[in-house]
Amino acid sequence: MGVVHALGIDVGGTFTDAVLVSDGAVRTAKVPTAARQEESVLAAAAAVGADAVDRFTHGTTIATNALLERRGARTAFVTNDGFEHLLHLRRQTRAHLYRPCAEHPAPLVPLERCLGVRGRIGPEGELDPLDPSSLPDLDAEAVAVCLLFSFRDPRPERELAEEIRRRHPQAHVVASHEVAPEFREYERASTTVADAYLGPVLSRYLLALEAACGGAGLPAPLVMRSSGGLATLDEAAAHASFALLSGPAAGVVGAARIAALAGFENALAFDMGGTSTDVCAITNGVARREHERLVGGFPIRLPTLAVHTVGAGGGSIVSVDAGGALRVGPESAGAHPGPACYGRGGTRATVTDANLLLGRLPPTLPGAIELDHDAARRALGGLDPEGVIDVVNAEMTRALRVVSVEQGLDPRDFALVAFGGAGPLHACALAEELGMETVLVPSAAGVLSAFGLVAADERRDEVRSFVVPLEDAGELPGEGEADLRYVGQSFELTVSLGPGLAARFHEAHEARYGYADPHRALELVAVRTAEVRPAPEVDVSGPALSVAGPTALELEGATAWIPPGWAGETEDHGTLVLRRSA
Amino acid sequence: MIPVELQVIGASLRAIAEEMGAVLIRSAFSANIKERRDCSTALFDEQGRMVTQAEHIPVHLGAMPEAVAAVRACGPEPGEPWILNDPYAGGTHLPDLTIVTRTGLGFAVTRAHHADVGGSEPGSLPSGSRSLAEEGVVIPPTRLDEAAIERLVSQMRNPDERRGDLRAQLSAHRLADRRVSELCGRRGRERVVAAMDELLAYSERVVRKALHELPDGRWEATDLLEAPDGPLELQAAVTIAGDGIEIDFSGTSAQHAGNLNCPLAVTRSACFYVVRCLTAPDLPASGGAFAPVDVRAPEGCLVNALPPAAVAAGNTETSSRIVDVVFSALGHALPVPAQGQGTMNNVVLGSERFTYYETIGGGQGGCPDADGPSAVHVAMSNTLNTPVEALELAYPLRVERYALRDGSGGAGLHPGGEGVVREIRALEACRLSLLTQRRSTAPAGAEGGSAGRPGRNLLNGEELPAFATRDLAAGDLLRIETPGGGGWGEPA
Repeated sequence: MGVVHALGIDVGGTFTDAVLVSDGAVRTAKVPTAARQEESVLAAAAAVGADAVDRFTHGTTIATNALLERRGARTAFVTNDGFEHLLHLRRQTRAHLYRPCAEHPAPLVPLERCLGVRGRIGPEGELDPLDPSSLPDLDAEAVAVCLLFSFRDPRPERELAEEIRRRHPQAHVVASHEVAPEFREYERASTTVADAYLGPVLSRYLLALEAACGGAGLPAPLVMRSSGGLATLDEAAAHASFALLSGPAAGVVGAARIAALAGFENALAFDMGGTSTDVCAITNGVARREHERLVGGFPIRLPTLAVHTVGAGGGSIVSVDAGGALRVGPESAGAHPGPACYGRGGTRATVTDANLLLGRLPPTLPGAIELDHDAARRALGGLDPEGVIDVVNAEMTRALRVVSVEQGLDPRDFALVAFGGAGPLHACALAEELGMETVLVPSAAGVLSAFGLVAADERRDEVRSFVVPLEDAGELPGEGEADLRYVGQSFELTVSLGPGLAARFHEAHEARYGYADPHRALELVAVRTAEVRPAPEVDVSGPALSVAGPTALELEGATAWIPPGWAGETEDHGTLVLRRSA
Repeated sequence: MIPVELQVIGASLRAIAEEMGAVLIRSAFSANIKERRDCSTALFDEQGRMVTQAEHIPVHLGAMPEAVAAVRACGPEPGEPWILNDPYAGGTHLPDLTIVTRTGLGFAVTRAHHADVGGSEPGSLPSGSRSLAEEGVVIPPTRLDEAAIERLVSQMRNPDERRGDLRAQLSAHRLADRRVSELCGRRGRERVVAAMDELLAYSERVVRKALHELPDGRWEATDLLEAPDGPLELQAAVTIAGDGIEIDFSGTSAQHAGNLNCPLAVTRSACFYVVRCLTAPDLPASGGAFAPVDVRAPEGCLVNALPPAAVAAGNTETSSRIVDVVFSALGHALPVPAQGQGTMNNVVLGSERFTYYETIGGGQGGCPDADGPSAVHVAMSNTLNTPVEALELAYPLRVERYALRDGSGGAGLHPGGEGVVREIRALEACRLSLLTQRRSTAPAGAEGGSAGRPGRNLLNGEELPAFATRDLAAGDLLRIETPGGGGWGEPA
């Protein structure tokens, strides 16, 4: 592949990061994120010295922010007559067991724009013919269409969506079978609504970005999706909900690449930022995936890297609760005012303040932030900084166990890839707690998501719904994955396609649940295939160094703490490989 | 013990209980467990105190210690599963099958509501049962080996599904055993045991401190349950003194010939729920939180029934109304929510071929600081609905309408939540069993708010009583309208 210049730009909440890889040389830049993300992208491209770029890849938080801040389009929801309230009924559980009036986030579509149309299919086929004329007039920029059993037979839903597009050519119309053709109507509707609601916002942004790139001599970007694969700009604009995890996914792809370059097929990605931490397991060089997750309280049923997020990071606030227990987070000091030691008016103790008092931070952070020991000490009061670190590490350990031990993976078989501003400060202690031998700290630890963009493949996922006995499924693709279960179960196990499919399922069931029942019939729920266009080979290198703990090490946009008993040196690609000394 | 180690071990124990729950739900076969998650999992210490519970269903919360006590008395060996459902020996109502195993730290418990346990009607929640024996197979604490599984499931409908669900429960126990050993290996058993003691003491401290901050005094309330043979009276006297609370049900009706009776364990659960809401709603579940709560009820009364009283509706309906009456008593002294739907709207449709069991959400009462949510389970349950698509794929039934019940929530400064309308058409002949409350009386408003609307049960447009059993023919249409919540405060 003749790629010479590959550019990745990841827009985060506070900073926009750029990585430019040219002939093995890696350049990085960090600029503040502006209100208009496309401006930050151009600024970051300029800062990294991007010129004659062949491949430009992009991670964006536009969709996520629009969902969390509820700045999406005025959306209508269309379903079968009699089921208009589907989004408002949810699954009937309350938001908090012991706070009776705690509320779920309000649905993205208010009741008055939830509409029904006559006609219905059931599990065995048509019950009442679709009557598009029964659809009331719509007053909306975006329309989500979700009919019952469209995962079985999409034709009525397709016909209805076409009718709405004909009547409202300006509206962004999304049908549920296009995004999540899978059973359980609430989760499918929720995904479809999020997709429609976010579509106009993301596509406006991507069009503006495309125009801005054209003006700056950059190619139109490929956009990172939650699956860890890149889509063309047009594909990304068509289905916004696929980009909800764009940023975290890029970090995991970067971690997988760094681990592979250093010779580790199995790794846990550990991205600890200011307010939250994302972790994900990588097995045999591939990041683990899942098919559904909650974003902003809404179920999103789409292929997504299995990133587990906890609301604690370097800026998390430390407090003591009524029973005398030390708590870290979920409140955060954020970038403003920031930890007390930033000297910007923060008075409450944070994890960063504790790290400073333990001598694990340099006197100055990037952005010329002079760290103030006295302010940190005042904020912590009598609290033991070691105790603060132990509590936050317990939270992080629990997160890492969720993606490893609870999935049947033994962390001792994994390397821990530490990145994000605070990841390399905590990684060695977590590795010890989990019995892990190796910690990898990439030279670009502070901008690894942008590096992940450079290293990511183009990927198109396809899900085909079956929900039939396995023996009636007919011929299946040779590559990809199948979601299978015993007839009668509701949750599937995903196994790879190919000969011996049934045996692989029984084995997986035995491993996960402790028993298999080869006499029970199997049901094929869905087949998942992906078309992949690999990323160009990028080679990276970095300065060579060798360290032994205890010592703190400054990296680009991050700080590492190497405790006593840990030592290591950089490998060929600039990644610091830390090991516990015997 | 230093707080940090305590928190680390506490988080690990909670993670084990949660993972047990995930394994049970994901490998189960019946809709009531796999879709609606009508199950709970917990870890207990050697002395039979609950250390942590995966929080699914509040009515299971306070009622598990009796199950552990009953099995503990049998001297179980490690790795040996024991099962029970006898409400008078550690159970709640018969469909809740509870499995207890010994672990390296004490006991692991799973409780799951099975779709049938061999009662006189499909679903084993007969609306007209008058003795426990009519409600299904009564299982005293019993060693659960393969032979016992076969013997039990052969007495129940859909034995293959029962067997699959029991295996799912056993999977959760195997997992608990493994995870507990790993935790002890990593931390040292002594340290984990010390941490469990401290976690219990910590919860107790938090709840006692919160109780101490509430006003001292004694307050009473009464309420009426809707029973087929005439109204039954619930009477509660609540006393807060210092850092303890006593809830006394003296004066409550005697146990009756129907199935609204409950064992004391269920009554305790309902009281614990109210105390938890008013003191420490965010506290991780543990038995320590219940130590300051003293629940008293005369033997043989509706809320401390003796065998062979039938109990099918006690666990779901009476428990909901106990919450109402205890909140009402405390409402004389504290800001409390208006009454919610006060029922779980139990619907069973089934035959020898299938069993569909569902409880339907309704309106929560308005709170002093917030509106009552609509279409949710109130108080003692928090099961999910059965998705329409899951229901129609599994059963010869069709859902024709599923909607908010407009205008059912009571008016108020903070209005009550709306109830739900659910219409189901039978596609083949089957039996219907309904166990409901709040059909003739309304969930009350508070502080000047209006009452919510009572619920309605309709078969082909004709109104059915709160408790009903009927034969349905293909084409019959059942419509359930669940109650709205009461409003809180004078409307602005």
